[in-house]
Amino acid sequence: MKLLTHNMLTSKCIRGVSVGYPLIINATEVKVNQTLFNSEFVSKLIPKVDWPVLYNAAESIGHSEDLPKEAPNDFEQNEEFLKKAHRALVEIEVISGNLVCPESGRKFPISNGIPNMLLNEDEF
Amino acid sequence: MSVQKVGCSRGQQKKVNRKLAKFQHVIKKEAGVNSSPIPTNNLAICNAGLVNGLTEESIFEYFSEFGPLSDILLLPGKSCSFLAYEDVKCAVAAYNALNGKLDIAQYNRPIYLLYVDQLPRLSETTIWDKLPPGLIIINDFISTAEEESLLKLCSFRDQLCGIMKNRLVEHFGFEFRYDINNVDKDKPLSCNVPCETNFLWARLQQTHPEFGQFQPDQLTVNCYSPGQGIPHHVDTHSAFESPIMCLSLASTIVMEFKNEGLHICSLLPRRSLLIMSGESRYNWTHGIVPRKFDVIRNKSAVGFTCLKRETRISFTFRKVLHGDCKCSFKAKCDQMKQNNINGNVAAQLEALHVHEVYENIADHFSDTRHKPWPNVLEFVQSFTYGDILVDVGCGNGKYLGHNKYIFDIGCDRSTGLVDICRGKKVETFITDCLSIPINDQYVDGVISIAVIHHLATEERRLKAIKEMVRILRIGGKGLIYVWAHEQIKNQKKSSYIMQCRKNRKETTLKHLDSSEGRQEVPLPGGIELPVHANRSNFKASDVLVPWKLKDDNKTFLRFYHVFGEHELEKMCQQINNIEIIRSYYDQGNWCISFRRVE
Repeated sequence: MKLLTHNMLTSKCIRGVSVGYPLIINATEVKVNQTLFNSEFVSKLIPKVDWPVLYNAAESIGHSEDLPKEAPNDFEQNEEFLKKAHRALVEIEVISGNLVCPESGRKFPISNGIPNMLLNEDEF
Repeated sequence: MSVQKVGCSRGQQKKVNRKLAKFQHVIKKEAGVNSSPIPTNNLAICNAGLVNGLTEESIFEYFSEFGPLSDILLLPGKSCSFLAYEDVKCAVAAYNALNGKLDIAQYNRPIYLLYVDQLPRLSETTIWDKLPPGLIIINDFISTAEEESLLKLCSFRDQLCGIMKNRLVEHFGFEFRYDINNVDKDKPLSCNVPCETNFLWARLQQTHPEFGQFQPDQLTVNCYSPGQGIPHHVDTHSAFESPIMCLSLASTIVMEFKNEGLHICSLLPRRSLLIMSGESRYNWTHGIVPRKFDVIRNKSAVGFTCLKRETRISFTFRKVLHGDCKCSFKAKCDQMKQNNINGNVAAQLEALHVHEVYENIADHFSDTRHKPWPNVLEFVQSFTYGDILVDVGCGNGKYLGHNKYIFDIGCDRSTGLVDICRGKKVETFITDCLSIPINDQYVDGVISIAVIHHLATEERRLKAIKEMVRILRIGGKGLIYVWAHEQIKNQKKSSYIMQCRKNRKETTLKHLDSSEGRQEVPLPGGIELPVHANRSNFKASDVLVPWKLKDDNKTFLRFYHVFGEHELEKMCQQINNIEIIRSYYDQGNWCISFRRVE
């Protein structure tokens, strides 16, 4: 699970949960896979992403490194920043562990890099 | 419509020649035939055909004036048509008299004719030399004297004589109520089926003892004036037993019978008896095209004759059914045990006949799913830098990783399939499409290819679409594909049908008929579903489709709801925050692309 994926995931489908976001990450294995950097790709992504959630996610699994807490205003021209963002968004991967609903505590296992978000029929 | 008999001016002739030069290429492209510089027996009508409303009758009407025709050919979906004369002289006469003059093209424009080397080859679209199973026509069943006395039985004066949109109707025994398509079985009419018709059944017993027990208690008399007809229908199963008998009086007519892709035309001669029993009664629709002429294919299988219709009186004899219909043609049966699939049963059905099956067949399934459909790929390629695309029900991920500018992510219910995706280094998660765990308005695109037809109720299918809409940003686009009930469209068989070698040949009665078995499979909630015969047309909309594993001989049954035409579109129209971009048919699927709006 890349942190961009984490950035969009929510547990609000659970009955009784109102926001369910962001999910807490309990990681037991994290990997960094280098991928091709493209500044236009990253800069178009930045406005779509909840940056504080991304930052906290990276920090919670010990990979915040020198990622800024806030995205700079000039992010489109700031290649140094875009590279850091690229790394956080699509290179860091949680291979195993759990995602935890912040309201209900419901756990969603991550194994082989795949979060299992399945709910039982009676949960939603 | 008038034929100008006056000669053309030179200017007009030039205009016609210019048009014809253009039409040479049109007919080559549309029908693959070459025009001939010298006269031949064959003429192409270059600018009028089935798509702009030209009919066999009107070709016959105008062209048979010049001599006997040996063929008339209207091509489905084309705006050109063809005819052949037995004698080239007749073709020349018609060519000279009608070219650029006869106003029967669209908007009463003139038609343009070219001589052609030969007529285009076309597989037969209507069948004239076969009858539906269980259908019998007995010619000259009654004498002219008997016909006359039977005609005296109907008055068309009585109060029970109603005027249907297209014809006069009179009922005996029970009134057939067209509002409910049934008879009121507790309210017999005061006038019984006239006893003067009893001799018919005594006579029938001698030649067809299998119908010896037939004793009708309902008679409908229809009077069809030339130009009138009756829409295609199956007589309501729960209303009447099998067989149904129909006596044609006063005029001959062509009746049409349809089932799936098959279209049979048959002559019902005056004074003949038509017997519809078994499959022909229960599973085939019958109807009469409203027109003044019937164009009839000759017995010799070449050439046409045209029959001018006169007023026809038909006596339809039926036996009211008491109790339940016990036919084996559930798809057209109004009494088919209504599958009451509620949410709970639906979930169980999907767990057993969708989720579990995919876990079992994941590897084999993935081996058979590598070639992406071009129109889906085109949609995926339409996204640009930094767009986020979710594939809901991504299967083995065959639509992921094609567009390097975007972030695409797949999700599926099947762990086995998601693991296969992981092997391809694409990003995925496991979820059910009824509750997608993604924030509202987060993504730029959603595709869901061949997924929601696995959901067992309309409510659940609609919920799945609404989930996709929910996660889309305003302006984001979605694409949904579902399996179509119609596997033959515009005379073309889908690749699903074509994968069966024998289906590649002409449509025959044998291969596309009666293929849906009534295998009994114990299902949740006591519901009953037919098991579909692979590579054939669908009959029911809720079916179990077998998947055979190639190694061991195990067969799994997957639940499908196959969508009728416009069904997906109508569902999407219920959702007010999307606008439909395109609704189309692609490779045996109904497809919708849409945009999220405020």
